[in-house]
Amino acid sequence: MPLTPEQIRRDVAAALGEDPADIPLDGDLVDHGLDSVRLMTLLERWRRDHGVRADFADLAETPAIEAWAPLLGAA
Amino acid sequence: MTLLSHARSAAPAGGTATGADETALPLTAAQQGMWYAQALDPLSPAQNTAECLVVDGPLDPVVFDEALRRVVAETDALRVRIEDTPQGPRQVLRRTVEAPPAVRDLRRGDVPAAEREAEAWMRADLAEPCDLAAGPLFRHALLRVGDHRWLWYQRVHHLVMDGYGHALLVRRTAEVYTALADGREPAPSGFRPLADLVAEEERYRSSDAFRADRDHWRSAFADRPGAPRLAGRDALPARTFHRSTARLGPEATRRLRELADRLGATWPDLLIAAQALYTSRATLREEVVLGVPMMGRMGSAALRIPGMVMNVLPLRLTVRPGDSFAELVRQVVLGVRGIRGHQRYRYEDIRRDLGLLGEGRGLVGPLVNAMPFDYGVELAGTPVAARNLSAGPVEDMTVNIHDRADGRGLCVDHDGNPALYSAAELAAHQQRFLGLLDRLTEADPHRPQSDHSIATPAEEALVVEEFNRTDHAVPATTLIGPIEAQAARTPRATALVHGATTLTYAQLDARANRLARYLGTRGAGPGAVVAVCLPRSADLVVTLLAVLKAGAAYLPLDPDHPAARLALMLEDAAPVCAVTDHADRLPGEAGTPRVVLAELAEEALAAHPPVPPPRPLTPSHPAYVIYTSGSTGRPKGVVVPHGAIDNRLRWMQHAFPLTGEDRVLQKTPTSFDVSVWEFFWPLREGAALVVLEPGGHRDPVRLAGTIRQERVTVCHFVPSMLQAFLSEPQAAECGGLRRVFCSGEALPRQTARACARALPDVELHNLYGPTEAAVDVTHHACAPDGDGPVPIGRPVWNTRVYVLDAALRPCPPGVPGELYLAGRQLADGYLNRPELTAERFVRAPAPNATPEHGRPPEARMYRTGDLARWTADGELMYLGRTDDQVKLRGQRVELGEVEAALAARPGVTGACAVVREDRPGAQQLVGYVTGGADPQAVRAALAGELPEQLVPSAVVALPEFPLGPSGKLDRRALPAPVFGAEADDVRQPSGPREEALVRLFSEVLDVARVGPDDAFFDLGGTSLLAVRLVARIREELGAEPAVGALFEAPTPAALAARLQEPAPGAGDALEVVLPLRASGHRPPLFAIHPAGGLAWCYAGLAARLGPDQPVYGIQARGFATGEPLPGSLQEQAADYADRIRALQPRGPYRLLGWSVGGVLAHTVAVLLQEGGAQVDLLALLDAFPAEQWRQRPAPEEGDALTAVLRMAGVDRTTERDRADVLAALSRAGSPLAGLGDRTLERIVDVVPHHARSMREHRHRVHTGDVLFFTAAAPRAEDWLTHRAWQPHVTGAVENHDLDCTHPRLLRGAHLETVAATLADRIARLAR
Repeated sequence: MPLTPEQIRRDVAAALGEDPADIPLDGDLVDHGLDSVRLMTLLERWRRDHGVRADFADLAETPAIEAWAPLLGAA
Repeated sequence: MTLLSHARSAAPAGGTATGADETALPLTAAQQGMWYAQALDPLSPAQNTAECLVVDGPLDPVVFDEALRRVVAETDALRVRIEDTPQGPRQVLRRTVEAPPAVRDLRRGDVPAAEREAEAWMRADLAEPCDLAAGPLFRHALLRVGDHRWLWYQRVHHLVMDGYGHALLVRRTAEVYTALADGREPAPSGFRPLADLVAEEERYRSSDAFRADRDHWRSAFADRPGAPRLAGRDALPARTFHRSTARLGPEATRRLRELADRLGATWPDLLIAAQALYTSRATLREEVVLGVPMMGRMGSAALRIPGMVMNVLPLRLTVRPGDSFAELVRQVVLGVRGIRGHQRYRYEDIRRDLGLLGEGRGLVGPLVNAMPFDYGVELAGTPVAARNLSAGPVEDMTVNIHDRADGRGLCVDHDGNPALYSAAELAAHQQRFLGLLDRLTEADPHRPQSDHSIATPAEEALVVEEFNRTDHAVPATTLIGPIEAQAARTPRATALVHGATTLTYAQLDARANRLARYLGTRGAGPGAVVAVCLPRSADLVVTLLAVLKAGAAYLPLDPDHPAARLALMLEDAAPVCAVTDHADRLPGEAGTPRVVLAELAEEALAAHPPVPPPRPLTPSHPAYVIYTSGSTGRPKGVVVPHGAIDNRLRWMQHAFPLTGEDRVLQKTPTSFDVSVWEFFWPLREGAALVVLEPGGHRDPVRLAGTIRQERVTVCHFVPSMLQAFLSEPQAAECGGLRRVFCSGEALPRQTARACARALPDVELHNLYGPTEAAVDVTHHACAPDGDGPVPIGRPVWNTRVYVLDAALRPCPPGVPGELYLAGRQLADGYLNRPELTAERFVRAPAPNATPEHGRPPEARMYRTGDLARWTADGELMYLGRTDDQVKLRGQRVELGEVEAALAARPGVTGACAVVREDRPGAQQLVGYVTGGADPQAVRAALAGELPEQLVPSAVVALPEFPLGPSGKLDRRALPAPVFGAEADDVRQPSGPREEALVRLFSEVLDVARVGPDDAFFDLGGTSLLAVRLVARIREELGAEPAVGALFEAPTPAALAARLQEPAPGAGDALEVVLPLRASGHRPPLFAIHPAGGLAWCYAGLAARLGPDQPVYGIQARGFATGEPLPGSLQEQAADYADRIRALQPRGPYRLLGWSVGGVLAHTVAVLLQEGGAQVDLLALLDAFPAEQWRQRPAPEEGDALTAVLRMAGVDRTTERDRADVLAALSRAGSPLAGLGDRTLERIVDVVPHHARSMREHRHRVHTGDVLFFTAAAPRAEDWLTHRAWQPHVTGAVENHDLDCTHPRLLRGAHLETVAATLADRIARLAR
């Protein structure tokens, strides 16, 4: 099942222990506590569950949901 | 394969650049940090980082070699070398780099043998320092250890690569290899150029974010919390590291991840929390600062740049045993999020901003380095397993955790600085950490952290059970019962000797029995207290026995204590009566009924039968009450029951049996509980008690006399008194001693050794214990050849000792904790102080039917406040205090009590007290007060109300107290008290090296005033300046200190001492000719020594006369070789003229002399002229001809001592004789002291000798002028004048008055004037 921006937001919020409503689509997720280990964990899950092919550097370079959506097949 | 042939056509192997076009880039801040670290120790291989990847399966070495070459070509960072330019270091990027062929076939015999060889090869390569300027800064190797097994070795200097960068290289190499092996052209490299990193860094450093980050770190650590050190100390980064490698198993790793998920954390967060918990417990700190390496690439171009980017950030955590682990993890999550917002600011910069560079000034404790970098790579289908070989330099301890994604759990490498951790210690830390982590993942994270012990179960069993196997059945007796039994057994044996008085056991017993019965009539009986205030005497012993025989507890009152103090104790203890020798010895206001022995009629006593009184006394009744210093300002009375002290004395008799032949010295004041065993132990065993005369315990000579005359076999010393005793020659004559016991303060090893030397047949035992546990609870026999700190040893009978952490969990061996005591010897508590008693005599948290694992199985423990640790074989080492309590001369001093007394004085608005050690080994209590009170008067008032050890040596009035950033009193900023004459503002350098170093410090740091004791890093020194300073030292002094030396010895004085240490020519500074500057084209200046005989004082002058002016000091004979003192001044001058001619065969000669040196210089000038040579400069510094002195008395040794101290920059205060002076010099850390006693003795001899020979000297006439400098400050010898030289010279006497005293002529501004005048004169001579 392909990812949607909302699903990305929910997953990110869960990883950060935040309410999805508090996670912006266009803001820098690092400011919200995203770090390499959490990102790696998310990416592994998305690869497993959603067949995502993006690599770590792709996502880490622009850590924002809007920027990720095309890379994660959710655009 | 055109690409292969292209690569092979490159230049010869060896790493020279093949292309002329090179690009130079500045270093990033991250790289600069690495560069300076390497510059500190250029030959260190510590910054070699390396990984070893095991390839199991088919591999084409030719294709692999090609893949490596391509990746090198794609990776800028691998093609740089570092050039040091005047503008700073630059990285020079080469277009191509030729590395040696990577493939090595190590297949001989079996695979394990080949792997061992490969391992050795990799280790050897890692141990090679990297030449940054030459490059290349990496090495690749593919070691074939089997037909289908390869080790791929990748070593890169940390300056150009970090852990993430290594991972990028591995993945790209695998990608390229896989494509080539497939016959495909690899996808284009995604690597970005190194220049992008530099540009990003430049943008950051000029941004607002940079300034905001700097401010953040400055304020976040403004209080500069001390770094927690598991080893208890600091060290410089070493060239190597110890590594202990283990796995957190797959099951525990799974639980760790699950727990992390449940707590909304990551597994690295949990590892940080566990390390914080471990570090906090093992270092007894509630607050710990850990180092957290950060990848530093999120949202950055650096994600695609293999390079050095990582940073280390300090994470401050508060660890409370009552908090849950989940709360600690939450703190970590928020803390890491907080520091991540400022992660681009460099660790080196944070430390520099905070002034925390240099040894002993660390910011962080252990580093927790989690590396979750994805290693799931394959080489064309062949799996690769990675193993890290070196992760870079280790300052203290680094815990590297790799998630290799190989299904085998986390790989944990504990790296430790070998200067701090042995391999075994490191392995123990790792084992405990992993054990703790494992238990944490299994336990409920919401339970308090105090559920967890850091010790392993085996360690717990060892320290709780094994080391405390002290059970021993003893009969239920009292302190006094066995004494009475002994009196019945040996009535005619000598019991007591005091001066001319000798009492047999029967006599002593009879007198004590009668007095006991009398005291019974005054209310003495079991449970009652009787005060005893008597000087050391037979009566004192009789009275103590009588009190005990009556069944009462005795309260000793030291007659030397102030009346106010005695009144306080009488009031608090409310004894039924007080026994004393004179009515006026006790203050009246307490209202205690008195028993005055002098007034007690013989008949009153004789009426009582001389047999023990009946008494319902049990071992649980109190035997004595001894008052100790109390932190709140009130002394507290410790109540010790009979059973406790009886156990103590029974153990002592078992361990060190006394016989009827023994004679035990009673010298300790009754108010100090050591006196308890002195008094009663011998009387229980048939030995004789030798009572020292009052006051004798402070006088080593009288002590030695008594020990010898009275044939004492056993005695006690407080260690500082033992040291004083041993330094008396008479001590060596006390060979009749069998055993000496020490307690009361830490026993220094050198004291123990001195004892073994002076008294080789005497056993020395170190005992430890507080008054609250019946004198002593642990013991250690000192071996004559023992090494290191002296342990306080093992517990005595029926006594358990526990070293516990903040959670009251046992500390493993080697880990410091607070010492708790349990068992038969505990006191009942503090008299009339139930709250204080409950606070120190702690009860188990909850009464458990079965003792909880990992907690001491005790119902009641005494909390000592002492810090200790176990040795591996079950002895305790004393480490200090957890609080403000200090011991001075063996006596307990609560600073709080001193402060309360200071604050109680009228006019004092604030008070504090500290123990200072401004001179090594010389501890003193100093009080500080604010308000209008006269400090002298405050001190005098305290002397009237406190016992001697609680009275400050000095009271200093301050306008206000220095406060730290947190608003708390900054004790370190309190000024040292000034004693005697006004102290110098800055100590003057002593010795030519120190003088030169002071100058170089000043030059390099661009600081006008540098003192010999100022630390380089306090004056604004940085690593870069350190490198420059070392270069200047090399140029100027020809000495070659490692930059590291500057960190360990950061002051000119310390550095001078270090430079001198191993120098074979340490004695050179004592030769007759002292080359102060041996180079230069001008005729040399010969500067002749003043009265002390050494010419070091001219070093500053030599430094100021410029590089072209050679200067030689001329020093008195005999310092280096021990020749006899010279005869007349004339003979001395003739000798110097010969030495000068040997150095400079022909004139013109230039001479200078200060003080006696001036008279000698004049005489040398005459002799040289009489030999036909020309003398064109004779400069005299405050030197006066012989006839000005002749009628005056020559100075005595006392003046010589002042002169010696002055040479060392020490003002004479209380030093009376040679020994005092030598001791003062050594305390002051003066290089003079380092020269040894013989040299100092020589100076003390030389000074009066010069004074005498000068008075006998007859002057002849010097042909020419004299340049004269007068120390023109008013002086006692007001007749001295430069005009007195006129008859002894044919030319003019040109005088310059300087506004200073004689000894200050070559200091500060005066030195500048003298030097400038001389330089001017010399310049004119040259024309």
